[in-house]
Amino acid sequence: MVVQEQLRVVRCGGSKLTGSRAVFSAEAKYLLCASGDYVKVYSTATEECVHILQGHTDLVTGVQLNPQNHLQLYSCSLDGTIKLWDFMDGILIKTFVVGYKLFSFYALSGFEDLVFVIIPRNDDETTDSFQLVSVKLTKAPDQKVEAKELSLILDDIDWSPKCTAFEREGEYVASVRGLQLTVYLFKKKKTFRFPLSATSKKGGNNFFTCVACHPREDCIASGHRDGKIRLWRNFNHKREYTFSTLHWHHDAVMDLAFSVEGTSLLSGGVESVLVQWRDASNHKKEFLPRLGCTIEYITASPDGTFYCTSHSDNKITIIHSNLRVSAIIQGLVKGNDIKTGLVVDPKTKALVLNGRPGHLQFYSLQSDKHLYNLDIVQQEHIHQLGLNQFELVKAAFNANGNWLATVEQREEKETELELQMKVWEYDEQTQSFTLNTRINMPHDNHITALCFRDTDESEHVTPTLVTAGMDGQFKVWVLQVDSDVEEQTASWTCDFVGSYHNYQATNCCFSEDGSLLAVSFEETVTVWDSETWDLKCTFCHPPGKIQNLCFGRLSCSKYLLGTTNNGFVCCWNLLSCILEWSAQLNVAVLQIDPLSENIAAVSCLSKNSDLFVFKPNEPRPLCIQRNVCRGNVQCAVFIPRDVPESIDAEKHQWLNRSQLYLLTQTQELMTFSTKSPEERLTPSRKQLAVEDSLPVTPFFLLLGKHRHQKQSKGDAEAGKVTVHNQLPQESPAVKELLHTPAHVLPSASFLCPIFINSLLISKEIKSTEEAADEVEMTSEEAEDESDEEMDLAEIKQDAQPMDFLSDIAHKLSKSQEKQLRKIRKMDYTWVSAL
Amino acid sequence: MAAAAACSGDTASIAARAPCAFSPSDCRYLALSGPDGRLRVWDTPSSRLQHEYVPSAHLSAACTCLAWAPPGGARQSPSKEGPLRKKRKSEAAEAGTQYDLLAIGTAVGSILLYSTVKGELQSKLNVGHDNRINCVRWHQDNGCLYSCSDDKNIVEWNAQTCKVKCKWKGDNSSVNSLCISPDGKMLLSAGRTIKLWDLETKEIYRHFTGHATAVSSLTFITVRPPNDNQPFDGITGLYFMSGAVCDRLLSVWQVRTDRKEKNAVMSFAVTDEPICVDLTMSETKEEPVKLAVVCRDGQLHLFEHILNGYCKKPLTSNCIIQIATPGKGSNSIPKPVPILAAAFCSDKQSLLLVYGNTLQPIIERVSLSTNESHVCLIRDIQKTLTLKTEMAVTKVKTPVVSSEAKVLVPGVRGHRAAAIKTTPSEAVETESKRKPGNEEESIEDRLGAMDIDVKKVKRSGGLPQADSFAVLLVQGLESNDSDILNKVLQTKKESAIKATVARMPVHAVIPLLHEITKRLHGHPYSASQMTPWLKAVLTIHASYLSTLPDLVPQLGMLYQFMESRIKTLQKLSRLHGKLFLLITQVAALEKIENVSDVARTAKLVYEEESSEEDSDDEMAAEKDSDENWDEDDENNEDDREEKSDNEQEMAVDKEGINGDSDLDPENESEEE
Repeated sequence: MVVQEQLRVVRCGGSKLTGSRAVFSAEAKYLLCASGDYVKVYSTATEECVHILQGHTDLVTGVQLNPQNHLQLYSCSLDGTIKLWDFMDGILIKTFVVGYKLFSFYALSGFEDLVFVIIPRNDDETTDSFQLVSVKLTKAPDQKVEAKELSLILDDIDWSPKCTAFEREGEYVASVRGLQLTVYLFKKKKTFRFPLSATSKKGGNNFFTCVACHPREDCIASGHRDGKIRLWRNFNHKREYTFSTLHWHHDAVMDLAFSVEGTSLLSGGVESVLVQWRDASNHKKEFLPRLGCTIEYITASPDGTFYCTSHSDNKITIIHSNLRVSAIIQGLVKGNDIKTGLVVDPKTKALVLNGRPGHLQFYSLQSDKHLYNLDIVQQEHIHQLGLNQFELVKAAFNANGNWLATVEQREEKETELELQMKVWEYDEQTQSFTLNTRINMPHDNHITALCFRDTDESEHVTPTLVTAGMDGQFKVWVLQVDSDVEEQTASWTCDFVGSYHNYQATNCCFSEDGSLLAVSFEETVTVWDSETWDLKCTFCHPPGKIQNLCFGRLSCSKYLLGTTNNGFVCCWNLLSCILEWSAQLNVAVLQIDPLSENIAAVSCLSKNSDLFVFKPNEPRPLCIQRNVCRGNVQCAVFIPRDVPESIDAEKHQWLNRSQLYLLTQTQELMTFSTKSPEERLTPSRKQLAVEDSLPVTPFFLLLGKHRHQKQSKGDAEAGKVTVHNQLPQESPAVKELLHTPAHVLPSASFLCPIFINSLLISKEIKSTEEAADEVEMTSEEAEDESDEEMDLAEIKQDAQPMDFLSDIAHKLSKSQEKQLRKIRKMDYTWVSAL
Repeated sequence: MAAAAACSGDTASIAARAPCAFSPSDCRYLALSGPDGRLRVWDTPSSRLQHEYVPSAHLSAACTCLAWAPPGGARQSPSKEGPLRKKRKSEAAEAGTQYDLLAIGTAVGSILLYSTVKGELQSKLNVGHDNRINCVRWHQDNGCLYSCSDDKNIVEWNAQTCKVKCKWKGDNSSVNSLCISPDGKMLLSAGRTIKLWDLETKEIYRHFTGHATAVSSLTFITVRPPNDNQPFDGITGLYFMSGAVCDRLLSVWQVRTDRKEKNAVMSFAVTDEPICVDLTMSETKEEPVKLAVVCRDGQLHLFEHILNGYCKKPLTSNCIIQIATPGKGSNSIPKPVPILAAAFCSDKQSLLLVYGNTLQPIIERVSLSTNESHVCLIRDIQKTLTLKTEMAVTKVKTPVVSSEAKVLVPGVRGHRAAAIKTTPSEAVETESKRKPGNEEESIEDRLGAMDIDVKKVKRSGGLPQADSFAVLLVQGLESNDSDILNKVLQTKKESAIKATVARMPVHAVIPLLHEITKRLHGHPYSASQMTPWLKAVLTIHASYLSTLPDLVPQLGMLYQFMESRIKTLQKLSRLHGKLFLLITQVAALEKIENVSDVARTAKLVYEEESSEEDSDDEMAAEKDSDENWDEDDENNEDDREEKSDNEQEMAVDKEGINGDSDLDPENESEEE
């Protein structure tokens, strides 16, 4: 109990799902994708995360199925290891330590123990030239194996996994960099280079961006920055190569993928349209538009039923092969800039922030899941680089969540600013927000702050909204009933405009009871009476400009806190109108807990951020947490807990009623936890382990019964035969072999001699009986197929089949070996006749 | 027997209702099996269909009951004492445990274990029952599953191996409901009577009378005995509740030490047969038990009660919640919307309501306020559903934007505060500015009284009205006929506009200005059409306008609107506008004197006399550009002098500065 009271920073919301290409499992039941240091296994049917494979210590850069065994997965990471997983059960099977940063990973069915990785050339972080090397994976039975046998294949290539592609069987590898396509033929051990000349018209925009190899034919597709796709053929002759061009994209082609059979080519780019080219023809193309954001990667499932596209907004779209979206796996949307900060929706307790361009995203923190995007701007977003479009800059909810105010802006040049404020009302009847009032140009310049007055529902005070703008004004908007319209509709109108010496208004906030409004104008804080809108008093702490402002709560409601940009936190007493205290602290974010007096301040001095939690009326801070995270904290928010937690340690009691979330510059969402990592186990570990015992399909219901009967009948008939054939069946080696799941067995070449040996042990049995054995074996195998699922559960018991088998190998005495040699010489051709 | 007959009749009614279950402890998912036999799992926070599962035999073996696996799955460790266990439970919920397995009982006696994460069937428990399964319950600790059936048996399953652990006869008739005691050592079963079984020995521990009809729900209400001073053996003193089909009373029973008492301790009265019951356990003795009962008639009853012994009278609900459609528009009568299920959220302060139909239910979180005894929530189901279906795949919610929404553009009343009082001094200023306006009124009155009316009559009678535009316009303005107005205002010929405006009677100027203002707020295209009109009106009738005492309120909106539009342009364009106004004034003066035979001389004469005052007044309207105006004037004069020197250069300059200047060369020549 003592140990667990340590405060730890925990990442939530998940890392980027779209850092590398996602991979489908063989039957397209699961989608595997890298997410930060983890590999996540998603079900394609339910969009749910089934397993999280943890083990890497740095960013996972590539995942790929083991071509030898489709139930296993290779992953490579910047930590210099390749790991082999059993993704169905979420078990790490093996780790290969390469020792270099691995940027990309390829495994091919043509090479049994060779895999290919891209590593930096000099193992130097700054270098931008990389090389493709093959790594020999040794077969040692240990958990952790050094894999140091590297051999260079291609030098000076791009690091990105998109820029290198292998032919499926491993005939050749194609890599692109800059204006050059390089093809290496493994059989001939030859390298061909095909340079393109930079188009003179618009200056070198036919750079290669990605490459893909046709699965059947000798054809390489390459994407270019000008939106063209080139299909290269006949490239195994330096001179006679040809290429044809496909062109639809107006911007760079981000990724290319062939379907399994190679009949269609998929391409995507900034336009966020998936283009399916049939038969490599410019005319036969189909589109799936409006996928929401730039397509980064495209994958086709091995059984051909699904495609999936990874998007730059942390989303994976699973698309049926007839170009219909079937599922969306959405993480926390990571846009360019979180301008709205973190807001809490009081109705759903969801975290609200910028989502897709022009949308607000609602993210449920309780379930750590993206809920939905709310389309605020309601204009078609044009996916093109360098286009200024409306973006959402501010959002605020009132206390009970019935009103939502949003500000959107578009800024073409310095002077041409378009602003729009929308006030939405939550309509209980339709369970959605409804636009109540739209205000064009509420201010003449940027809006810096937006807040509602918190009032209890019981007192019937008109809802009030305050906006502060850089035009030196703050405006008070109130809800008023329109008298001139017949249907008494309430809408928002401006009630008061205030200014202070024409300084820019930078912050505004209401006191807890809503009776006072504080607005900061550059260096000065002004306090206004919210009934009469009279200026009550002003505070300032020259020469610093006010950056953050908030009123104290509960017992500290007489305090007003502000932070200045020259590194001071000031606390003013509203009753006596004097500065109560000030402290030198460079605070970037000041956030108050709505349920207690606690205030969280995050200071960013150098690269790291420090967190201070304090009460305005107490001299000592409740909690100081240094080096909370890498990079600056951009915004923070307290989110009330559903059920108050009981944390005993006095130091962490501020976490009892609400939880603090921080958003860093790199848009990672952090929170604090006092629990040890073991207690925050992944959900997969806690699932009820239940045996699969299923008649799988209705087809099986029809046929399986029939076969079952037949088999039992057959068994009954063959009863006498099996009786005196018991001997070889008892051999433990055979048993082990048949009862161990295929994917944990050593290679067949290793097992074969032992297996044969075990069959040949008893010299008394004559060759005819051996033949009978074989028949028995096959029937047993047939049985095994149906029982395969059952066997999975028995893995635990069979944990040491390897040792066992090797024991058997040792047990063979010399005499037996002699016999074996004899038998080897014998003619076995008659067996094949059977 | 009568009871037996009732039972058999009631099984049909049980079959009719859709089995549904919330995922434990945080209600994140709702599993609902519709009448079509499909199982749908709904995500409650976003009220979105998570996925749909069609059992292979969904038509023949319909789903009869559902149960989610307990949070944390199977814990092999032996169950610990009360408080300790509770703590562990809450932590598990914090860690975001997923509730993977869903047990589905079917009408043919098989139980399906379905993985909601993978979206596939995990296993099938086949040989245990040979008749309809009535209730499935998970043991909270050891991963066992209990089921009861119409074949009178209760079966204990090992969920890991999918084998029957134990099977015993539970009753003489079908067993309808099960419940496991909070400590996990006892099992309640309800057939004809309610029995409490010891799970270790499978022997009957207690008997209770039970209901006349089949018991549909059975739950323990408390986890600890009412008085703490007695030693607690895990079961004695606990209350449990039962509801039955066709029974409007929910009975509460207490497990007592004496075996005598077999009747209900108290009962809750509801309006119809209960179909879904949820409750919050009370942590302390003082905290009341909250109970939400959804009835067959679609109403939700809320009870709050501290359980403390015997009570003869049935308790009535503290609050009834109903849902109805708004009953606006086409369907004029509000229709009730049935509530299908309800569950308390983990904070105990809000309630998840499921309503609508079972195929497309709507899930809403409602915060509880028990002040009123009867609450009717108005929900527009149709609209909600259409909004929801859009969101189903894309996960994008589109808020409603109706045309009714108020639009505030700069210039419209309400965009700016009626009175801007930044500092007291300025407020005084505005007042002082208004005062001369009031004085002025008398002059206008005098003017009006003097001659305008007479003039109008004269003119309309005397003039030949060959060009009907002016007349049309006046008529249109008077009758507010948009057709006529459109016809006139859509003219683009500048000369025609000028002529029309020039011939227009003065009293129509203000209405025309209002009309123009209205149209300026509209579509940008119509705004561009309106600008020549506005220009013409302002140039030709500037003198009249300046006489108006209430010019500021009349044209304030237009002024603000123009101000905001102009703001982004350079100051030059403002200068241009004023120059142009002045120049045309000068030119028009001469023209009118020469050409016009309209007998308006008296007014013009007057205006000339008072021109200085009037222009002052107009400046009051444009109060913050007062100084500019003067400067501009001076500039203009300077300009003009310069121009006479080298006119061409100036023209080039102007073009250069004001890129898209709408200064036409004609004006320049006019200026000359």
